Amino acid sequence: MSTYTIPVGPLHVALEEPMYFKVEVDGETVRSVDITAGHAHRGVEYLTTKRSIYQNVTLTERICSLCSNSHPEAYCMAIETIAGIELPQRAQYLRVIAGEIKRIASHLFNVAIQAHLVGFDSLFMHVMETREIMQDVKETLFGNRMEIGANTIGGVRFDLDADGLAYLDAQLARLQPILDDIITHYRTNRSFIDRTRGIGVLTHAQALDCGVVGPVARASGIAYDVRVKAPYNAYDRLDVPVQTGTDGDVWSRAIVRLSEARVSIDILRQCAADLPAGETGPRERQIIPAGQTVAKCEAPRGELIYYVKTDGSPNPERVKWRVPSFMNWGALTLMLAEAKVADIALIVNSVDPCISCTER
Amino acid sequence: MSALPADLEPRLRTAAPGGCAFSQTTNARGVTVAWCELADNADLFAAATLLKEMGARLSTISALQPRPPEDDDEDDDDAKAKDAPPPVALSGLPIDGKTYQILYHFDLDGSTLSLSVFLPVDAGTVPSLTPLFRNADWPERELMEIYNLRIVNHPDPRRLFLDESIEPAVLERLIPFSTLVNAASTKSLWEKIIEHKEAES
Amino acid sequence: MSFLKVLFRNLISGPSTDPFPFGETFTPKALRGRVVYDASKCTSCRTCEQVCIGGAIRFDNTPDGRRFLLWHDTCTFCGLCVFYCPQDALEMTTDWHLSHTQDEKFKMVEHGLMPKAACAACGAEYVAVAPTAKAFAGYEPTPEEVEELRQYCPRCRRKEAAKIAAAHPPAIAADPDTPEQGQS
Repeated sequence: MSTYTIPVGPLHVALEEPMYFKVEVDGETVRSVDITAGHAHRGVEYLTTKRSIYQNVTLTERICSLCSNSHPEAYCMAIETIAGIELPQRAQYLRVIAGEIKRIASHLFNVAIQAHLVGFDSLFMHVMETREIMQDVKETLFGNRMEIGANTIGGVRFDLDADGLAYLDAQLARLQPILDDIITHYRTNRSFIDRTRGIGVLTHAQALDCGVVGPVARASGIAYDVRVKAPYNAYDRLDVPVQTGTDGDVWSRAIVRLSEARVSIDILRQCAADLPAGETGPRERQIIPAGQTVAKCEAPRGELIYYVKTDGSPNPERVKWRVPSFMNWGALTLMLAEAKVADIALIVNSVDPCISCTER
Repeated sequence: MSALPADLEPRLRTAAPGGCAFSQTTNARGVTVAWCELADNADLFAAATLLKEMGARLSTISALQPRPPEDDDEDDDDAKAKDAPPPVALSGLPIDGKTYQILYHFDLDGSTLSLSVFLPVDAGTVPSLTPLFRNADWPERELMEIYNLRIVNHPDPRRLFLDESIEPAVLERLIPFSTLVNAASTKSLWEKIIEHKEAES
Repeated sequence: MSFLKVLFRNLISGPSTDPFPFGETFTPKALRGRVVYDASKCTSCRTCEQVCIGGAIRFDNTPDGRRFLLWHDTCTFCGLCVFYCPQDALEMTTDWHLSHTQDEKFKMVEHGLMPKAACAACGAEYVAVAPTAKAFAGYEPTPEEVEELRQYCPRCRRKEAAKIAAAHPPAIAADPDTPEQGQS
């Protein structure tokens, strides 16, 4: 039998984001994959050097919506390191709260789409409905469902009073039993398991070789989590059990994400219990001196790294970042090797790709 | 989490006989950010090989054209400051806003080491690190399209994000749409807004 | 099989979506919606203009005074202008009803005017921006004392503020009833 090439994408491969795969197939089986990127390239990296250091807090938040909190978080960390700004204790915990709320919403979104791609739309709806609890939390505490605007250079822009903490606690109490139930479905439901186990495997050795990060790496047994390996904010005072899998397949990646969402609930509760009193950060701007640094944080999709160089002027000299998805695309060609055509979308979604982030 | 291996600096110096400048800072949480600038680009591959052996993961690659530091105190009538030669990198290349710097950011169990080399504006090349780090593929392809940089022995030196029809080195030459419209509301848009405002009152 | 329980529960609990536009929808108090501007509080420091990534804020001078314009169509609702405004002259409302037709797009403007006035002391024409406690150089004025400066031009404001400050020995400045000025 001869091979032929089919186009997959650029639209609607898994999400409504553009990425084009040229897939060579032999019957039902994928023989090779060529990824063509660039449909969402906007030149944001260039733009950051034309905007002031303070304006970029909002610009970096607009790179992508699902990890919108992680971008300004890492960016602010870099600027704070350059300027020698020590974050107030309360702000350190509040940043963790913002990050973990975003993580739960992001992970639930991805596993929901996974259920949809399997064809289990009732589960998809159920998870999306559950995720809505966190969307409401974001809207209530931060004023927006996606762009939560939590970070500022030197602190955070929101505060939680007793009412806010009680609200958060009540919503987590609502979420937790439903999430536990959802995890059981993903672990035991035959329709889901049959389509996802042993599919899109990335072995431990391959994962190391590709330098993958985040849940993709952890599902292949690499226990790397920036929150533990290079703690920032209040993570060095919090208990963050790293969630790993062993099989490196589509199913393991979904389970790692669900387990992490569950761990995030515990982290949020720890933060609420330990939240120190005090300042949340300055409301005045300051001059940022010349300097350079590297800052990283654990975005929902994995290690997000920022390289920032300033020259003492209002605009940064260079801002470069690498999102977790950028590294995970390379592994996709290995995951798709010998896959069935029908599983392509499932495998693509299992790396939780973010194209706006990747291409900037 | 762990600090950088104590023997990292001496081993890097052995791997890079051309010389290097090494520095590191560790913050209150014990997270280390280290820098290693190589004097001789020929040492890059050997230094990267050492890091591979030490279990480093390539996080990403950044490139820039570092600008010389500005003299804040001197006014423009100070001709001496203007004529002064720009500072130089370890390799002797001038830091004049044109010379390229490539930084390879490595992760060593949570610590970050940025290995950097300087390249002259029109003749420099560096070897591809893809034989050592498979994931250098995309970052190197991106560097080649946004800067006028040449990376030799790259297995797949096609464009990554930009179409073939676009002139290379966009970050240096192309005027992006964002500049064209100043990435915001333009002057003519504001004129229309003001026109409407004035018509109202 | 256990998923049937979820389906059954959903059947009993009914739809989880809001009945919008036929009923109310969820609008929390913290929602970052339409921005409103209070010209009487503004000192025209332009911090808001400088932190706005969208370039949505603009100050210009008209024959009547200094005008503030905020175009909602290029506003990202990030709230940095509100956060950094030292005068609390900007506020985000929960009004998210911002959809409009194409021909209305240039009308989505929040504006305010800091009017021109004649200085009560020297008679010179000036833009009557809000006075701040900063002018009192060390002395913490009452809101009334700050407000009194509004009728003077910038030069006369400094003189008047110095006069008031001089009339108060430092001990009186520590009056516990004096409210903070939200200034630094």
